[in-house]
Amino acid sequence: MAFLEIDGLRKRFGSVEILKGIDVDLEKGGFLVLVGPSGCGKSTLLNTIAGLETITEGEIRVDGRTINDLHPSKRDIAMVFQSYALYPNMTVAGNIAFGMEMRGVPAQERQKAIDKVAKVLQIGHLLQRKPSQLSGGQRQRVAMGRALVRDPKLFLFDEPLSNLDAKLRVDMRIEIKRLHATTGTTIVYVTHDQIEAMTLATKIAVMRDGEVQQFGTPAEIYNNPTNLFVADFMGSPAMNLIPATIGGNGNALSVVLQREAREPISLPLADAPTGLSAFHDRPIIFGVRPEALTDPEGAERNASNIATADCHIEVVEPAGSDTFAVTNLGGKAVVARLRADANIQPGTSTPLAFNLTKAVFFDPATENRIL
Amino acid sequence: MSVIATPARQSTGGISARTVNRIVIYGLLALFALFYLMPLFVMLVTSFKTMDEIQNGNMLALPQAPTFEPWLKAWGEACVGLTCAGIKGYFWNSIKMVVPAVLISTLLGALNGYVLTKWRFRGHTLVFGLMLFACFIPFQSVLLPMATILGSLGRFGVTLRNATGLSFGLGNPTVNLVFVHVVYGLGFTTLFFRNYYEAFPTELVKAAQVDGASFFQIFRRIMLPNSMPIFVVTVIYQFTNIWNDFLFASAYAGTGDAMPMTVALNNVVNTSTGVVEYNVNMAAAMIAALPTLLVYVVAGRYFVRGLMAGAVKG
Repeated sequence: MAFLEIDGLRKRFGSVEILKGIDVDLEKGGFLVLVGPSGCGKSTLLNTIAGLETITEGEIRVDGRTINDLHPSKRDIAMVFQSYALYPNMTVAGNIAFGMEMRGVPAQERQKAIDKVAKVLQIGHLLQRKPSQLSGGQRQRVAMGRALVRDPKLFLFDEPLSNLDAKLRVDMRIEIKRLHATTGTTIVYVTHDQIEAMTLATKIAVMRDGEVQQFGTPAEIYNNPTNLFVADFMGSPAMNLIPATIGGNGNALSVVLQREAREPISLPLADAPTGLSAFHDRPIIFGVRPEALTDPEGAERNASNIATADCHIEVVEPAGSDTFAVTNLGGKAVVARLRADANIQPGTSTPLAFNLTKAVFFDPATENRIL
Repeated sequence: MSVIATPARQSTGGISARTVNRIVIYGLLALFALFYLMPLFVMLVTSFKTMDEIQNGNMLALPQAPTFEPWLKAWGEACVGLTCAGIKGYFWNSIKMVVPAVLISTLLGALNGYVLTKWRFRGHTLVFGLMLFACFIPFQSVLLPMATILGSLGRFGVTLRNATGLSFGLGNPTVNLVFVHVVYGLGFTTLFFRNYYEAFPTELVKAAQVDGASFFQIFRRIMLPNSMPIFVVTVIYQFTNIWNDFLFASAYAGTGDAMPMTVALNNVVNTSTGVVEYNVNMAAAMIAALPTLLVYVVAGRYFVRGLMAGAVKG
């Protein structure tokens, strides 16, 4: 039995269904990230777990206990809000201790708990300040301190890093990961940033329009997306999704990619998914991540199925650690990720290696993965 | 309007045109300020003059021999109707009526605003709309119905006193006025606080809920301590309105010991015993205006800030 279980959760506002039957579960000590574009229902889902929104149907259990109708304070949870939601009229210490004060914890114990948390988060010198006297990163720490001090069964984070600047965001991301590793708490985390999702999660739920599109480990989501939406949403730069057709014959299928003013590329597929034979001569979407499309010298050595084809390079973007090259295949701009020192010029043709073991195929009609 | 339109039309005309504009604008502003301050100035200088000087001198001239006599007389000896004990008793009547009325209406307005923004229920816009409507009721139209209600409350008070020995203030004119001002102030105080709390981050309320604070604990510990600007605005607004109210005061406490300041002042001016003592009348009027002036001076900077906050974010 999982630690956090959400069964058939539905949430309606009048006739509008915000959450359309969510089934998710998380083991103890896990880190679940709910990710999706704005308006997909991820924050609403988090609020229903917190008890700040009621649910229309379904059940939420934490550690075997149904918490559907419990008041937020009775659910043994702590929450970190996007705006940090620090009480502006109280000092940092007052903020951290407010929950304990409400529960009638004696002042001495409160002080002990504050000191302990302040030590973990290194905010000891800030305890007597007001939130308005803190920087963004410090406020973030205090907000986390307020959650930590409760020692709850479940931590809820609602886009906690989205108000920080880029560098601080990376630092705090590492800090949250370290905190999770050292305290071993169970966390549910909402973000629209897929990099946060990939780096932090032990489990990811990709959401769209109130439905979970895919639920799995970061590796599963990244390497085996179940549909076009997940493939497109996760990963940066995004996966290349190229309109193509299936050619070849019975045992030896190949992917045919159209090119501008040149004959199409045909890439032979050594171990094509079985479902793909039904799409012979029919259009499909061919998905290949930029890192699976690279210069032949930089290609993965032990990949079993690599095909090389000459491509016309339109744009070259040196990004420091890598060089991205843009070519045009099937009428779309396709990004290839090359070694930083790859010798490549825009406007020339160069051979690119397609790692077809990593390639995925989608049915353009249903947008689902062809397996 | 013309003051605003002038620079817009001539702003392309170079530095000299701008200077002319400045002179016109500040000149007009100074003129209006003078126009507004003139009566206050006349009142102030007159209240320090002797009757001789008033009758023989220039109205705008400064007092030749400034005297506090009129102020002392207004405070302690001026005649209101038949009693000649000054206006000091009525001053305290007003204080006793205004302070509870302001505090109760402000706190209830804050509570209403809190519920209407952070604990929304079905039909909250309708309720707020109806409360807003109270701001537009002409008070003359409610004089008679309110008198009927106050009469019933008074009779109920008598019944209570006969039964328990205590009337709980029902039927007392001061309590009546407090009641009336709270009821008719609620529309405004609710409007002020609702607009302020509309922009108040809801996440704070959610965080407090997760922390286990109750409805009233959130109100007292989170909402009220962070409402200082709008609290001051509401207090100033309510204090000024209730202190200066003449209509309700004269209708429900126009005679007798509970008469508020405004009614007493009117009676001082209307009581003629031979010569009209302008200096005493002016001093009494100044005394009547002092508390509102004081509230503005003490809390005025919050007033502007609070109004801005409500206007921009609400």
